[in-house]
Amino acid sequence: MTATQHQAQAGTAAGETRTLTLIQAITEAMREELARDERVVIFGEDVGARGGVFLATAGLQAEFGKERVFDTPLSEASIVGAAVGMAVRGLRPIAEIQFADYMGPGFDQIISQAAKIRYRSGGQFTAPLVIRTPSGGGVKGGHHHSQSPESYFTHTPGLKVVMPSTPYDAKGLLKAAVRGEDPVIYFEPKRLYRAAKGEVPAGDYTVELGKGAVRREGQDLTIIGYGGVMPDAERAAAALAAEGVQAEVIDLRSLVPWDRELVLQSVAKTGRAVLVSEAPRTSNFMGEVAYVIQEELFDRLLAPVVQVAGFDIPYPYVQDKIYLPGPNRIAAACVQALNY
Amino acid sequence: MIQPFTSDPLRWVSEDGQPIRELPARFTPELLRELHRQMVRAREFDKKLVTLLRQGRTTFYAQASGMEATQVGLAHSLRVGHDWVWPYYRDHTLGLAMGISMLDIVSQCLGTNSDLCRGRQMPHHFGVLDKRFVSISSSIASQVPPAAGTAMAQKYLGTDEITVCTFGDGATSEGDWHAGLNMAGAAGAPCLFVCENNQWAISTHLREQTASETIHIKAKAYGMPGYYVDGNDIVAVMEVLGHVAERVRAGEGPALVECLTYRIGSHSNADADAEKHYRTREEVAEWEARDPITRVERLLEHLGAPLDPQELWDLVAATHREVDEAVLAAEASGQPGWDIMFEDVYADKPIHLRVQEDFLRAEQAAGGRA
Repeated sequence: MTATQHQAQAGTAAGETRTLTLIQAITEAMREELARDERVVIFGEDVGARGGVFLATAGLQAEFGKERVFDTPLSEASIVGAAVGMAVRGLRPIAEIQFADYMGPGFDQIISQAAKIRYRSGGQFTAPLVIRTPSGGGVKGGHHHSQSPESYFTHTPGLKVVMPSTPYDAKGLLKAAVRGEDPVIYFEPKRLYRAAKGEVPAGDYTVELGKGAVRREGQDLTIIGYGGVMPDAERAAAALAAEGVQAEVIDLRSLVPWDRELVLQSVAKTGRAVLVSEAPRTSNFMGEVAYVIQEELFDRLLAPVVQVAGFDIPYPYVQDKIYLPGPNRIAAACVQALNY
Repeated sequence: MIQPFTSDPLRWVSEDGQPIRELPARFTPELLRELHRQMVRAREFDKKLVTLLRQGRTTFYAQASGMEATQVGLAHSLRVGHDWVWPYYRDHTLGLAMGISMLDIVSQCLGTNSDLCRGRQMPHHFGVLDKRFVSISSSIASQVPPAAGTAMAQKYLGTDEITVCTFGDGATSEGDWHAGLNMAGAAGAPCLFVCENNQWAISTHLREQTASETIHIKAKAYGMPGYYVDGNDIVAVMEVLGHVAERVRAGEGPALVECLTYRIGSHSNADADAEKHYRTREEVAEWEARDPITRVERLLEHLGAPLDPQELWDLVAATHREVDEAVLAAEASGQPGWDIMFEDVYADKPIHLRVQEDFLRAEQAAGGRA
């Protein structure tokens, strides 16, 4: 963060809100948590002097020192593993994996150590840590800078998985994740880093993990999404409104745990559900949401649950915009549900 | 002076029990007898647990017979309950020598209510918080990067603790092993890496595991000293590990110690007759002649303080009774039921787990079977 921004922040009274981008909100959450709790340390590749390749940690090393904000060797297994070992010893590490596409080398540390240490030790040892990582497409990154691997992690008991889509949630969810007692994978929709802007309180607040948010109220159908697709889901809803269709839009925010109650209440009301994500279709987390909707609301459904997802292909480079579900594809799925 | 990167394993006592260097003053007959007692106790524990396995009262066992000098020596080279240990799955002799009770280890092997880990893992994967002995993962070398992290936390917090991380020779082929050593080296973290090189990773011999001449020379690549020790000579193990642990504690960065030893038993009950399939009886006999317990007995003889055979028999009998009592106490505590299955997944119990728990409760209440 620049000196000007520092001054701007210093000048804001408690309770006051400012317009921040998603990534500014993430940086602010980390700064406040570093200031609040000496157990918080931040590390990863290039997060120190450089401030991270997306500048999420910009200025933090200068402000809090190299002991608390530091660069690591280029090794995701080391980064995640070190976070586990620090958390077991009583720190509150926030580890950055530079791109979600590179979680592979750290995968065993996540699923064998972070996710299981509480269970396997009967609660004697725990790993309260946060792994932040940019994910999703829309930045012309090809398949090693655009993937959405969240479903791998929702499939491993012991991990919590969240993905904000607004600056307000980004700050509140990150703070809640740092203060929680469980390992949290915190996915950051990178195409919204600077595209998503919104009001963010200057003071301290948290957003509870496991709670979704209604972005738009409606009674004709429910659009459910999370992360990078949310602005397009809202655009689709706005387009439908122009045609006289009132879509309710829900942002899950948390995948594990996810807000069954909010989703079921809404779909019980509308009778139609359209699930939107950009992760590949097969074994997509939304398949679980669809399963619970049909299990609980089979006789209230007016149409089959429709899923809009990424295609089951490696994320393409040239066809970036065609691959991603945009407002037209989402709206078309809504029409399909409405016309059933 | 204890030097790193020696071409031969450092040794204080020859295979026939003669000191080949000046015996440090602390190795009085009293200390040697105590070390001997702990080694025999662990050896007999191994035998009793194999019997328990054959009786079908436990399902898995990985013997550490032959490796007692390494593990008991390590236990005496750290500050128990102060330093942190990220162990591997063949470290029960280390655990016993650190003062973890037989009841705790047996309870974990039997998965009873008295198990501190609540019956969550297969036998031999214990963990004890008050000894800072972290619960064991089967995933080979996955404890190495976390050990680096715990040591980084110790450095950050300014403690005088160190972290000890153990592993076998096979683990040194895993990516996580290299990642962890590199991380600890780059961070200058107080981590003591101990390779219990027993030369066999299940059925794969060290010479097929790596083209590297030894394990300890790999330390060079990570900017830390590597020491090579006769892991069947408890005097050498304690001299080297004691020296290296204090070096690490003094803030001189991490170190790697390779203890050359031998796995006399099979890898586990899964390959109960190793000599039929992948190694020769001659090789095993050759290493039995280098037995770490016999070596201490010979050293005591040399020092004019031989063990009374009756004392040894009493020790064996007492250990067997101790195991029997631990087994009875563990079994008497009963086995955990379905009702704790959903605990300790998270600090809280999210809605989807409550839904699944309700399902299981109803199924069990109806007398249902899975």
